[in-house]
Amino acid sequence: MPVLNGKELRIVGFLCNWCSYGGADTAGVARAGQPTDLRIIRVPCSGRIDPLFIVKALLNGADGVLVSGCHPRDCHYSAGNYYARRRLEVLKQFLPVLGIDDRRFEYTWVSASEGQRWQHVVTTFTDRIHKLGPAPRLEDAEPLLKIADMALTSLRPLGTGQNAALDDLKAAIKAKLPELDCVIGWQQGYDAAHTVPLFMRTPEDVDKLVWGPFNVNNPATYLPSFKGRKVGIVVKGCDSRSVVELLQENLIKREDVTIFAMPCQGTLDMARVNQELGRYSAIDSVSYDEAGVTIVADGKEHRFCMNDYAQGKCYGCTTPSAVLADTRLGTPEAVQPGAYTPPELAMLDAMTLEERLSFWKGQMERCLRCYACRNACPMCVCRDYCIAESREPQWMTQEATAREKLFFQTIHAMHLAGRCTGCGECQRACPVGIPILALRQQIARAVAQLFDGYKPGLDPEAVPPLLGYELEEKNIHEREWK
Amino acid sequence: MSIIRFVNTDGLPAFLAYLSKDARVLAPVEKPADKKSVVFEEWTQGKPFTLEKATVPAKEAVLPQCETLLTYKRDKDPEDPSRVSLKLDDTPQAVPTVVFACRPCDARGYVTLDRPYLQGPMVDPYYKARREQLTVLTLTCPRGCSTCFCHWVGGGPSSPEGSDVLMTEVEGGIVLQGLTPRGDALLEGSGLEDGAARFPDAEAARKAAWATLNKAPDLKEAPAKVAARFTDADFWEKETDRCLSCGACTYFCPTCYCFNITDEGDGYQKPGRRLRTWDNCMSPLFTREASGHNPRTARALRMRNRVSHKFATYPENWGAFSCNGCGRCISNCPVCLDIRAIVLDAVKTES
Amino acid sequence: MVLHSQNASATGGMLREISPRPLPGGNPYQPMPATVLEVIQETGNIKTLRVVLDDAEAMKNFRYEPGQVGQLSVFGAGESTFVINSPPSCKDYLQFSVMQAGEVTAAIHRLNPGDKVGVRAPLGNYFPYEQWKGKNVFFVGGGIGMAPIRTIMLHLLENKKDYGKISLLYGARSPRDMAYSYELQGWLDNPDLDCTLCIDNPFEGWQHKVGLIPNVLTELQPSPDNTVAVLCGPPIMIKFTLQALEKLGFAPENIVTTLEKRMKCGIGICGRCNIGSHYVCVDGPVFTLAQLQELPPEL
Repeated sequence: MPVLNGKELRIVGFLCNWCSYGGADTAGVARAGQPTDLRIIRVPCSGRIDPLFIVKALLNGADGVLVSGCHPRDCHYSAGNYYARRRLEVLKQFLPVLGIDDRRFEYTWVSASEGQRWQHVVTTFTDRIHKLGPAPRLEDAEPLLKIADMALTSLRPLGTGQNAALDDLKAAIKAKLPELDCVIGWQQGYDAAHTVPLFMRTPEDVDKLVWGPFNVNNPATYLPSFKGRKVGIVVKGCDSRSVVELLQENLIKREDVTIFAMPCQGTLDMARVNQELGRYSAIDSVSYDEAGVTIVADGKEHRFCMNDYAQGKCYGCTTPSAVLADTRLGTPEAVQPGAYTPPELAMLDAMTLEERLSFWKGQMERCLRCYACRNACPMCVCRDYCIAESREPQWMTQEATAREKLFFQTIHAMHLAGRCTGCGECQRACPVGIPILALRQQIARAVAQLFDGYKPGLDPEAVPPLLGYELEEKNIHEREWK
Repeated sequence: MSIIRFVNTDGLPAFLAYLSKDARVLAPVEKPADKKSVVFEEWTQGKPFTLEKATVPAKEAVLPQCETLLTYKRDKDPEDPSRVSLKLDDTPQAVPTVVFACRPCDARGYVTLDRPYLQGPMVDPYYKARREQLTVLTLTCPRGCSTCFCHWVGGGPSSPEGSDVLMTEVEGGIVLQGLTPRGDALLEGSGLEDGAARFPDAEAARKAAWATLNKAPDLKEAPAKVAARFTDADFWEKETDRCLSCGACTYFCPTCYCFNITDEGDGYQKPGRRLRTWDNCMSPLFTREASGHNPRTARALRMRNRVSHKFATYPENWGAFSCNGCGRCISNCPVCLDIRAIVLDAVKTES
Repeated sequence: MVLHSQNASATGGMLREISPRPLPGGNPYQPMPATVLEVIQETGNIKTLRVVLDDAEAMKNFRYEPGQVGQLSVFGAGESTFVINSPPSCKDYLQFSVMQAGEVTAAIHRLNPGDKVGVRAPLGNYFPYEQWKGKNVFFVGGGIGMAPIRTIMLHLLENKKDYGKISLLYGARSPRDMAYSYELQGWLDNPDLDCTLCIDNPFEGWQHKVGLIPNVLTELQPSPDNTVAVLCGPPIMIKFTLQALEKLGFAPENIVTTLEKRMKCGIGICGRCNIGSHYVCVDGPVFTLAQLQELPPEL
């Protein structure tokens, strides 16, 4: 066995207590020769294995990770391995976006009696890892900085929404206001080129409501904090998907939420707008037309055409109108779905694994761990008890290293698997402009491929894919161990 | 009369090379990204830098995001493994540092940090070691900015506080003015040409910058008024209703100095480390006690603490605001929460 | 308040005076290595640790005042603040009583005699016992809150001649939750101390008072004349005991308590234990009610 010769590599094995650990034992009792690279960690069930165990091992220097559980239908706890199968397959498809070769991670099923199969699995996997060699380490990667190409073509005409029925919307909100604790919308921020969330409690507040391409914030982020109270929310199409996903997960109650919707014509990428505006003392004027916005700052005119300056997500948006609403104003525009790869993901797709690792190294170096990404995320609902800061259990250190920072982004992304609606608030909130949305987009793509085009936040009744399982998975097939 | 020197734009890399001869030079470096960010990084020969205002503060120079306070190593007695010896090492890791082209708000930040770290009941030796080896070369701001309000809180686009050398861009180059003996010595050894002739240009540029500023409101009453607001729950609820409770405002603040201390490793196989890291009072964990009790459970209460610290309690202890008006908390906030508006509302309306 | 320019106060130091007290020397973040001498299981979730500084010279010269606290380190888990509850006259060890609640306290509860720990002490202010001379002192301790009371009470008893009547009301949920159970008989028998014990609910064989501390206190009717009340306990007990004391006629300046807050640095910098402009780790932990009433209500 060639893998037994030469330098040992570090392979971590997570083995289910009931089957695979017994299988390894059987192999041992039968004196079946095995490579010695594997370090076994026994877990109660493959369903107990959080994908983060695997990512943490890989980021911290493991050259390979092997997970083994009971065969489907054999789980000691009936269904643990069914859940594991979905999670682990999503993880496997996610790893390459980080720059980690997905061949370094494998999962399989070995029963307690299959000593021989265990020997075969370990030998084959170790052999594979030895062929791949020691894993490239984030610490050794040369930082690479690259910007996504934002010259995009939209699936639908983008505009400034200036003909929207804002007055009708205000009237509708005022009519409902007495029944509601408040209605969340948008108002002008510190100047006319910036918009911030608005909490309408009085008719005077409603008069502050604005509608237009500066309405970038996702008001759904605030909904869970109103738990138990009647609250209204004004939504763009993308925001409504967050509301629906919150409903799917029972994080809010349908009867507590009143949704006001108007069709959206796109929002501005404020990062690029602010960069173009540069440092200015005062905004002189902001004027709108069908195609874009003209801002005069310190006497200098800046033109922002929606087709050039929209947020990345707007170009591929197929839900300009809310997917769920109680009060709709304006005429929704039908959009034909077309091929669209988000710009950040397209940039990463074009890179090699080494380049991706270098890319994340270069990006993560300037992360300040402010967690704006997490707190702006409408689906991050355990933020006060986030494992990023917890010491019990202690998942992360407080060190300011690229590894810890990237690991947090992986945690965030994995926790959003099958839940992220791609609203992009994480990336928009990032004060240092790290394109972290790409990680979520990669997972969304994997989820769509594995679960028949599933998209989160479209149907309040749908069960998020990682909260369920099928006895026979249509698109997940066990790999052959040859 | 202080030492005045002039460097033309082409001569800047050579000047930086001179600065980096005996010190680590932290200079603003542009990071290309969708949202451009300018951060302070160690400059090495040939590395591009910028004179733009950094998106992050320059406090890393004295207060790194993460530093090792001490290491601990445990060793088992080979004769009797139940006996374990403990070795501690607390040597501060400090190197001579030059901060190049920070802005007056950053430089004033050092003065704000000096008070609690050096003039409190006990001196912080780690901060002190860095601060004593720090030279600050500040670039004056050419004009005001929509999110800046340094002149409201005692500073200004050419405020000299905290700087060793004040640099001002003029046509063709930069005029450098020594403000402290350390700054003078640095300029004298630089080999740069005398800049006295260009100094009037610099003064004109500084004056022009002041002229671009809006009129500053009177904040004399702010400490008392903000303090008086403490029990006005509705006020804080309303002012902070859109706050997401992330740490962007604190981590981008040149004067926020709260920190956390955590241990990493048990110290048996390799030395464990006691780390000091930036912490932020916006996090619910900041004050949560082991029992579960938390005096600041709500977002509004945490933001109240932040604003009160800057405009009421720090002034009460030290006689100055701990906000330098750099505006980074406004421009980097995901929901553009505006501390100016909160303070003005607190001062304006009767409580 | 005067707002002066940044440079003016750069040399001026803190505007508020910090009262003199023993302070740790050298690097205030550097714990003194120490060894656990003894571990006493007080109750189901309270243990008392006696630790000795490894440097014999430092141990001999260690000075502190009753009420001052120490940061106890278990390397790898972190630090937590506890009052040094042995009286300053005790030169053989430093005693800390620890209730298990979080990561650090759990690690402390796993310690055995001979284990290495770190101690940063003394930190904080202390009970103003000099000002109490000639007065009566009424102590009220609830649960683990008895720890700070123990140190100051033992200190006063050692100097009984300087003080009037010394009384103690010590309450806990049940007899099993009473720390220092092995000392209680001595306290009850001490002619210098008027000791009352109480538990929340009746318990078989319990021969002392039954009832919540504020109620028992009202029943005892201590006179506020020339008397200082010193109390420590869980927040809810503090709240109602303060009300009871005020009803009995105790003036706010004659009510003294010691506070607990989440702390990290212990030297007034890290910013989490502040109540308004005051830091519990530097300006406290001992405050009179009069002082607390001056501060914002953020406990």
